[in-house]
Amino acid sequence: MKPQVAFFDFTSCEGCQLNKLNFENDLLDILKHVDLVEFREAMDDKADHYDIAFIEGSISSPSCVERIHDIRRRSTTLVALGACAVNGGVNAMKNLHPIDEVRETVYGDDKYLFATLPAMAVSSVVKVDYEVRGCPMTQQDFLRLLIALVLGKQPPKYGSPVCVECKLNENECLYNRGMVCLGPITRGGCEAACPSVGQFCTGCRGLLDNPNLDGMLEVMTSHGISLDEAKKRMLLYNSNEVQL
Amino acid sequence: MECFSLLRSDVPALIDHVGAYGEVVAPHGKGDVSYSFEVVRDSNDVVLDYNRTLLPLKKLFLPPVEKLMDFSLKNKSFDPVEVAIKPKVYFGVHSYEMQSILRLDHSMLSGSAESNYFKRRQESRFIGISFTPDEFHFSESVGILIEEMEGFDLFLNEVDGDFQVYVLTDHGQELLQGFTKMKATQPEIVEERKFKKKIRYHYNRLPRVFQYAYHSDVWADVAERCVGCGACTLTCPTCFCFDVQDEVTVAAEDGMRQRSWDSCMLTTFAEVAGGENFREKAINRTRHRLYRKFKYITDEEGLPWCVGCGRCTAFCPAGISLPDIVNDLIQEDEKAQYHRSVRV
Repeated sequence: MKPQVAFFDFTSCEGCQLNKLNFENDLLDILKHVDLVEFREAMDDKADHYDIAFIEGSISSPSCVERIHDIRRRSTTLVALGACAVNGGVNAMKNLHPIDEVRETVYGDDKYLFATLPAMAVSSVVKVDYEVRGCPMTQQDFLRLLIALVLGKQPPKYGSPVCVECKLNENECLYNRGMVCLGPITRGGCEAACPSVGQFCTGCRGLLDNPNLDGMLEVMTSHGISLDEAKKRMLLYNSNEVQL
Repeated sequence: MECFSLLRSDVPALIDHVGAYGEVVAPHGKGDVSYSFEVVRDSNDVVLDYNRTLLPLKKLFLPPVEKLMDFSLKNKSFDPVEVAIKPKVYFGVHSYEMQSILRLDHSMLSGSAESNYFKRRQESRFIGISFTPDEFHFSESVGILIEEMEGFDLFLNEVDGDFQVYVLTDHGQELLQGFTKMKATQPEIVEERKFKKKIRYHYNRLPRVFQYAYHSDVWADVAERCVGCGACTLTCPTCFCFDVQDEVTVAAEDGMRQRSWDSCMLTTFAEVAGGENFREKAINRTRHRLYRKFKYITDEEGLPWCVGCGRCTAFCPAGISLPDIVNDLIQEDEKAQYHRSVRV
């Protein structure tokens, strides 16, 4: 029997799951391997059990916590999909401010109607088996993981910085072009998509294991931005991981 | 050895002429301030005055990403990729770059020779060119002069804006057959090109310095500044480490195995199954990189495995300088020697 696959969204823009519907040429091949049993953006059906549950979005309210526990209980394998689910993503920037201030800014006088929590990675709440990083994750990256799971193999892990793929493409370093780039401390696997077209890396795939953050701040400030600006850039996608 | 004079304006004609032998690869401008080796489409686009290319010439013999074989899961079969031998001319190569190819030959061809590397090296012709050292070149300190001609078939030495062409091999002679724009001349020695960056000791003395540098404090200083991007090793012309990965198509019926350059400066490089990592800390990795250039291979081959191109330094976002590290180690070694002698 083919694995039963489902997609769920939490606090996010839903872009990571939406781009699953854009597979077009590969969609029929993908459906040869798996049965899609629940996917709010694409179908009405529901299911009781999932072999692989893909979770998009961060956990940021009490109802999110309840729902993710329920999904985890009914899933064999659970995969965090995209930056928000993996480490909180841009949502986690709210964690840098007092929660009352955040609620007031967003909901004004109605703030008491909306219970909220700090934006958390899915793995802060339930066990996550695998992750696909990025904002949004690339289709290629998602497919590699899906095929590996279908074949019963370990999905590829990316432990190298974006700079590696950038160098293999023989790109001119953006630091040599007067830009400040987060490539050296950001987890690769994106084939250096942004630097290859002249856009500096904003760090959407999260930090490497054991990054040298002090060294990185030194590099960024020595290339012409203030310490404050350097910290802000580093926090954009990593508010839950970086203590500055 | 024959020597001819060649006007700068006639160099494109020379490139076109040697193009009769095979595809010509030469330095071109890339991005805002960089250069790279590319196949020549128009000989007027070739850059004669360049400091260094982003990736070394190595990329054409040991490509950054290379397919090794196709395989079929369905038929349980595989099909290795064998490249064809093609005549090629590498034009405008600096002396340190040529030396790096000779060192790479040793790494790739001794023991079990790498067949596709060997095939790419066959029928290849090299035309060297002199260069003006910038603040990063230090090849003189590792025994490679601007005019070092080993490995080249022809060498273009810049004299007063024009060139003197040295014919070094029979292959070089053949490349020039029928080319009429040169006149026989007497070789001149160019004095004014000086290296700005230097390692303080002769390279013969470095293995001894490294023998005692394993526990030096210098490594921690470097590791503190290093952000671990791997730029130094990925742009190094003598590094040859790689990773191999399999990729399966969406239909999960077939796939391919490919090899890509790896770097010992990356955290994952020495990680093995079970999660153990033999060089977990940046300090271990920095030290290992330098030892690979000045000790481990050098002890066996008697040559520094660094050619002084300055790429690792020029392309380091943190501004870490390899010759500065070596000079710091030398200084520390001198201090230690002084203390040892005073104690006696």
